[in-house]
Amino acid sequence: MKYLIAEDEKELQQSIATYLSREANVCETASDYREASEKLELYDYDIVVLDINLITGSGLELLRKLKEQNKKCGVIIISANSSLDDKLEGLDLGADDYITKPFHLAELNSRIKAVLRRGQFGGNDSITFEEIRLDTLARSAYVNDKPITLTRKEYDLLLFFITNQGRVLSKAIIAEHLWGDDSDLLDNFDFIYVHINNLRKKLTKAGAKYIQTAYGSGYKFIAD
Amino acid sequence: MWTSIVLLLISGVILFIYTKLLLNNEIEEELYSNKARLEKLLEEDISIKGVPPIMEVEQVLKPEKLKVSDTLIFDPSQNEIELFRQLSETQEINGNYYRVTVRTMVIESEDILFAIVFTFVGIVFLAFIFLFFLNKSRNKKLWEPFFINLDRLKNFSLKSNKSLNFEDSEILEFHELSTELELLTSKIQIDYRNLKQFTEDVSHEMQTPLAIMQAKIDTVINDESTSESQFVKFSSLQEDIQRLKQLNKKLILLAKIDNNQFVNTEKLNINNVFQDAIENLKELTTTEINFIDGNTINVKMDKSLAVVLCNNLLSNAIKHTASRNPITVRINNNVAFVENKGAVALARPDQIFERFYKESKKDESTGLGLSIVKKICDYYGFVPSYRFRESEKLHIFQIDFNTQL
Repeated sequence: MKYLIAEDEKELQQSIATYLSREANVCETASDYREASEKLELYDYDIVVLDINLITGSGLELLRKLKEQNKKCGVIIISANSSLDDKLEGLDLGADDYITKPFHLAELNSRIKAVLRRGQFGGNDSITFEEIRLDTLARSAYVNDKPITLTRKEYDLLLFFITNQGRVLSKAIIAEHLWGDDSDLLDNFDFIYVHINNLRKKLTKAGAKYIQTAYGSGYKFIAD
Repeated sequence: MWTSIVLLLISGVILFIYTKLLLNNEIEEELYSNKARLEKLLEEDISIKGVPPIMEVEQVLKPEKLKVSDTLIFDPSQNEIELFRQLSETQEINGNYYRVTVRTMVIESEDILFAIVFTFVGIVFLAFIFLFFLNKSRNKKLWEPFFINLDRLKNFSLKSNKSLNFEDSEILEFHELSTELELLTSKIQIDYRNLKQFTEDVSHEMQTPLAIMQAKIDTVINDESTSESQFVKFSSLQEDIQRLKQLNKKLILLAKIDNNQFVNTEKLNINNVFQDAIENLKELTTTEINFIDGNTINVKMDKSLAVVLCNNLLSNAIKHTASRNPITVRINNNVAFVENKGAVALARPDQIFERFYKESKKDESTGLGLSIVKKICDYYGFVPSYRFRESEKLHIFQIDFNTQL
């Protein structure tokens, strides 16, 4: 996959690029409006991660251009402004998703994957990891082609694990992904244990042991 | 007031003395001239007797000196005793002595006094009435700009974007007052707007550095070389970032409410909002939440704010309930009650809805949840309140929706 990260904050841009390029993706970066505009005209990308506030211009302007040229690429907008108007404007212009700073890289990664699933491959709605298969349309899970019954949250959790396989995910990251804004209603993330343990039990029962505890308080989904 | 009374009294006394003196002189003058006339008549005809009691002629044996005195004489026509002033002197005609007495009725002191007092009271009364109405109409005109400005000041709202314009007046003091007030209010408004803008700007500006910090930590955590103790430290850093994020989000929410950015008002069933929030929270907590549905509350408000309102009340109760005791949501008579167990009443219950108010140091919340509740209530005119029921050791937060219904 080929990504373009258009973000004027170099540090953030590099972190995103490093994180995303781990899965054998090609990550190119652009630090201002001109550079991003040039690269978008010259090359084709599968995903563009677009900051709204690029120093020399608006990311929304770039998005408008992109859509005029009818390029087939997924666009994820990142913005420091959580206001609904910005979000709606971005999505109206044809962005595929919108994420507000600050975000977890794992979250960005899972959003990108979702966009890719929906887009380019004409709805490739099946994700496979070893003997586990997820049907993202029916939202159902199979181990060795045998269906396992998961709750809504357990399914989301498994999907999040698989899209971020091999990465360490802290409880905070998982909580925020699964419950969004509601995750800060309570001071602790103890409730995560319950859901992870249930999922782990169900997977283990079906013979798939991939959820590992990392460093005592984080989780990692990994093939042995 | 007192000075004018004293002044009136003094002038009344002087007027009384002066009038009395004047009258006495006049009477004596009259007596002398009447006596002279009578004496002349007597010289022509010694047989005249006069007109008693005004004029009397009487033959006496020896001469008497000129004498002025007061005397009381019964006046049968008026049927009362009257005071007369009399002048008598003997006159010698042909070796005989005749006493000539002339008298005139004197106006009694009480009468003078009465006349003076009556006149004074009349004058004062008339002056009072006259001045009262004159002042009233005059003052009304004079103070009109002042009261108009006072009214505008009362209706002044910091949050309004309109600046206050004051009525100008020809009176220098009022003119200065309105100029100063105009300056002052516009300065306050600008300061308030700047402060609000500042909070919002800071919150937004903080997002990017926070994003960088978070992204870097995410990267470091996934480094193969990270040790367990490093991971624990990074995780706790992540939690701190999380808190800053929450704080930011809440500050932005407060600013948005202040800026009237929630305009999608719709008819909402508060009971349903509570029920949804409870369902949602059940996934996040093991604390039991009871819901007692008394009556249905329908309000007009923004849906997202209603959700925030219910969520904040519930999460506050869950966070602070003693030893995971169940919390209760009751809806009764258009009032929603959220109750949780506690050990003791709050130290400063009047500050519970203030920003950054925390009962204890160990509390890791942002201290904004309840102030957001208050803000939302103020925005829609609901009445939030808190009390502690000692008998059951219950903290009770209630939102009265009656005011909007």
